[in-house]
Amino acid sequence: MKKIFSPLAVLIICLAVLAACSTMNNSFQLPNNHPSPDDLGEQPKVCTNCHDARGDIPFERFVHGPTWGENHRQAAYQGERVCALCHQTSFCNDCHATRVELKPSLRHQTDNVRRMPHRGDYLSRHRIDGRVDPTSCFRCHGNPKAAATCVTCHG
Amino acid sequence: MKVRFCVARGLLLAVLALLALPMNSAAVELRVQSDTLLRVFERDTTSGTDNLVTPGYEYLQVDMGSLSEAGLSFHAYGWGRYDFADNDFYQDADAGELLYGYLEYKRENANLNIRLGRQYIFEGVANESVDGLRLSSDLSENISASIYAGQPVGLDSTSGRSGDSIYGGRVALHKMSLGEVGLSYKNIQNDSDTAEEMAGVDIALYLPKGINFFGNSSYNLDSNGFAEHSYEFSIPYENFRFRPFFQMFNYADYFATGANSVNPFRVLATGDEEISIYGIDLSWLKSEAWTFVGKFKYYDYDQADGNQYYGLAATWHPGEATDLGGEVGYLNGDLSKNTYLLTRLFATVDQLGDKLWLDFLTGDIVYASYDQDIYGEDYSLFVSLGTGKTFLDGRLRVKLSGDYSQDPYFDDDLRGLLSLTYNYDHGL
Repeated sequence: MKKIFSPLAVLIICLAVLAACSTMNNSFQLPNNHPSPDDLGEQPKVCTNCHDARGDIPFERFVHGPTWGENHRQAAYQGERVCALCHQTSFCNDCHATRVELKPSLRHQTDNVRRMPHRGDYLSRHRIDGRVDPTSCFRCHGNPKAAATCVTCHG
Repeated sequence: MKVRFCVARGLLLAVLALLALPMNSAAVELRVQSDTLLRVFERDTTSGTDNLVTPGYEYLQVDMGSLSEAGLSFHAYGWGRYDFADNDFYQDADAGELLYGYLEYKRENANLNIRLGRQYIFEGVANESVDGLRLSSDLSENISASIYAGQPVGLDSTSGRSGDSIYGGRVALHKMSLGEVGLSYKNIQNDSDTAEEMAGVDIALYLPKGINFFGNSSYNLDSNGFAEHSYEFSIPYENFRFRPFFQMFNYADYFATGANSVNPFRVLATGDEEISIYGIDLSWLKSEAWTFVGKFKYYDYDQADGNQYYGLAATWHPGEATDLGGEVGYLNGDLSKNTYLLTRLFATVDQLGDKLWLDFLTGDIVYASYDQDIYGEDYSLFVSLGTGKTFLDGRLRVKLSGDYSQDPYFDDDLRGLLSLTYNYDHGL
């Protein structure tokens, strides 16, 4: 009881401190959403076309270059609220979720420009990729529910 | 039991507190997105060969409340599937999952954000779906923090949810235009045993001449070892951007996630293997239309011999309506069975409404050649074609696609997919 009570007490104290501190500061405030393409009259593509590369938010970090799909992890872990300006969690859940039956490239078969993972016959390729770097599988298939797709063959 | 009661009471109090929060006068909005998918393919099942499988999927997203401004809102997203043929391809004909469903309160100062319910948490060492409470806020101009607690969704399939819990948080120090340093912690209990206890540090440094440095390390407090180091530079030079990177994973600490360890990863955690990945990405934005990418990765192991990956890609985007691209990748494995060549060509032609009844056409070819046969085959060929059209001023989009695969698992596999996406957006 003592072991679990301590984290609970810490949590409650942290909640109280967070709530109290949040009433007192006036840090840079992000809007709820980025203006829509309809509002802008065009589809926004490159953050730094309109925003400072290193202003209150370092927008250069969030420019979706050609390898963004493979390399956005660091930016998302530190800047989730910047991602949330344009993307709802459902967008992330195409790939990152506890249980997704359809792989993203299959669910969005016609969105081939997005270079989504596992396109084509990944059943064969995963045997090799899994041997070479199993850590890349673990991020999305590492808990019992997400590994349900692995269990059929891997037990 | 007492702990569960405490958590339940805490969550109840949190709900009441959330409902008591000041509401602003923003209009209540309702947005609904429905994705209905129907797939068709053939499989051998326990009830026969070449059985037609026809699963239908519904992905439903609902957002309601103060969506355009700070305030109180509700968000939910989930999917369900029913196999209309019901001929034993799936264990159960129906399946589904609520991916998230939470109340959210945002306040206009300090970036205060409170979420209660099922939610996905991405921050620091957390990459988890949680039924619980999360609170984040700026504490001062340069410090922000977040904490969360509840039950991990990913473990509800292992002996139920009794004794399952998760809590953690992240504190970040950020200085405009200099960078950010974050410290994070996560503790997961599964059936009252420690499933995972991780601490991490993440860093972003914005250096002169547009050079950036990003990275994170995570430490497994359960096995007492560093699980991961991942660090990278981003270096711009005219139209080029270089991204040299380094990653290290210790299998015993990375995969040894205690009571929630699952196969095929459980067996990896029992070894002493460590992988280090060195590499570089090179992007060249030659013009508005042309983009080129080069990629090299070297996989170095403590025990096994190394592997190398080489990749090249090019895309052509002459205007809003057209995208053509191709890529080649070669994995040069230490063993023949770890070596393959991958090639892909894709095309999307959009905004065809003036010329055709259809709005867009897409095509995709993926070809893989394996150095060592897999089930007697040394290649995979995948071809996909798609098209679609929008109706009702863009609120309804219908897409139809078909794909064909010839590979080590299927001699000839033909599949079809019909997709209907409907968007409803309305002020209440």
